[in-house]
Amino acid sequence: MNEVLLSNQVIVYLLSESTLFFLLLVAFIVSLKVLLKWDFESFTPLQFTLEKQAYLVTAIILFVFSMKFLLILYFIFSIDALSLLVPGAMCGAGVIEANDYGSYLLILKLSILFFLTLWLYINRYDMRTKNHKWFKEKSWLFSFIFLLILVELGLDYSYFSNIDTHMPVSCCSALFGQLEGANPLPFGLSITLLLVLFYLLYALVIVTLKTKQTLLYILANILFVYIAYYAVVYFFGTYIYQLPTHKCPFCMLQVEYMYVGYLLWASLFIGTYIGLSDAISTLWLKQSHTRSQKSVTRLLSFFVLLCTTYVAVYYFKNGVLL
Amino acid sequence: MRSDAVNNEMMIQIENLNRTFEHAGNEVKVLQEINLNIVQGECVVLKGVSGSGKTTLLSLMAGLDKPSSGKVLIEGEPISKLPDAFASELRAKKIGMIFQHFNLLEHLSVSENVTIPLIPSGLKMKEIHQKVNSALKLANINHKKESLASRLSGGEKQRTAIARALVANPDIILCDEPTANLDRDNSLLFIEILKELHALGKTIVVATHDPLFENLSFESTVIPMVDGKIV
Repeated sequence: MNEVLLSNQVIVYLLSESTLFFLLLVAFIVSLKVLLKWDFESFTPLQFTLEKQAYLVTAIILFVFSMKFLLILYFIFSIDALSLLVPGAMCGAGVIEANDYGSYLLILKLSILFFLTLWLYINRYDMRTKNHKWFKEKSWLFSFIFLLILVELGLDYSYFSNIDTHMPVSCCSALFGQLEGANPLPFGLSITLLLVLFYLLYALVIVTLKTKQTLLYILANILFVYIAYYAVVYFFGTYIYQLPTHKCPFCMLQVEYMYVGYLLWASLFIGTYIGLSDAISTLWLKQSHTRSQKSVTRLLSFFVLLCTTYVAVYYFKNGVLL
Repeated sequence: MRSDAVNNEMMIQIENLNRTFEHAGNEVKVLQEINLNIVQGECVVLKGVSGSGKTTLLSLMAGLDKPSSGKVLIEGEPISKLPDAFASELRAKKIGMIFQHFNLLEHLSVSENVTIPLIPSGLKMKEIHQKVNSALKLANINHKKESLASRLSGGEKQRTAIARALVANPDIILCDEPTANLDRDNSLLFIEILKELHALGKTIVVATHDPLFENLSFESTVIPMVDGKIV
């Protein structure tokens, strides 16, 4: 067995994920039974039993989902800690790229968190109705999320059991550094255009949120999170590290940078997930918007302000930009 | 009134209600095929020995328990199907409960015990004080309002519990063995208060095995229960 699988962080992480998966498996089996036989208008013994089981399933799902939000932080912390074991890795970026599964696993985890947020929104709508109006919608969504989590668990084991601690890996300087002649930015953008787009999309997200143009808001929000990722890695991150060649989404999660990465990425992703979930559930269930607009505005504004502050502080201190 | 007729004043409707419990691997049928209609302002006495299902029936009427099958409707609202938050809201607005063991918070005063049900209502304190005072007067316990619940006699505790049940001005009063811990004088005093509530148009359901409730001085319906069935 390789050293990675025997490290404390990975043992704790995999055990936690497996336990949560087992709980979800029970919830999934019961919820399928409930879903197929659900008839809220009925007053039969079967329906009353199903309602009690549905209550139990919702309690399990809420518990597991809240744990999943904490576990992604632990996952990031774990891969960062593993950089000590993997030759060539200086942060989580090198460990993630240690095999073919890492990137897919990270993207899958971020996607699952989005769907979990959406489920929480639909559940909130459902709990506000006297007749569990959205029970079937949230149950089907849960079934879909369960399948994603099943794939995630498989990828978790494949990823951690295939990290070779004798094979040197490329870390952030090689992964995110400018390769010769190649532009790593999307759509062939320059840094200047990337920043213009970053601020314009932020403004568009806020305006469409305030004016309740839901479809445009969803589109703007997806584009914003995509552009924001590149803006942080290729521009704002260099001001956090105060080094023009240091382009990495992971190093800022370390103590040297006061763990600012957690604050930065959390405000971006939580703001985006809340906003998207609110918008999609509004369209899907044809319900009025919840009162999460303020939270979205605050989180995304905080993210933009924090990014900008690093550049401004650097400029005021040194009189030049990187 | 036991009847199949449904009219506009129907307060509590129970249809084909069953409640079973699992005990040591066996199914215990506590309530079997209960059908009961209670109109607004009616006083119903559920009479039966211990274990006949009276308390379970009251719990289902209050939405504190879910049936195994069947309907419980409060003013047409199926309380047996409502999610907990909605059932609690309905209970807070429409139902007052009086228990055998009073269920008071012993370290609080009489007026504090009576104030508690109004705390989630969002009313202003002045309004809450007014409601508490009128409930204390109605239950004839106003003179003890500052006393700790732990210092009260059984009769005084029960009158405090009555005030607490009345403070939100509910349409329905459910009483579970209300005189089981009272002497005869206090039991008669309790019945007098029930009479006043009946005169105010409250719908009253009393689960009891006390013979004092057999011949009340006001209009009431006695419904005997045996082994989870209405007989």
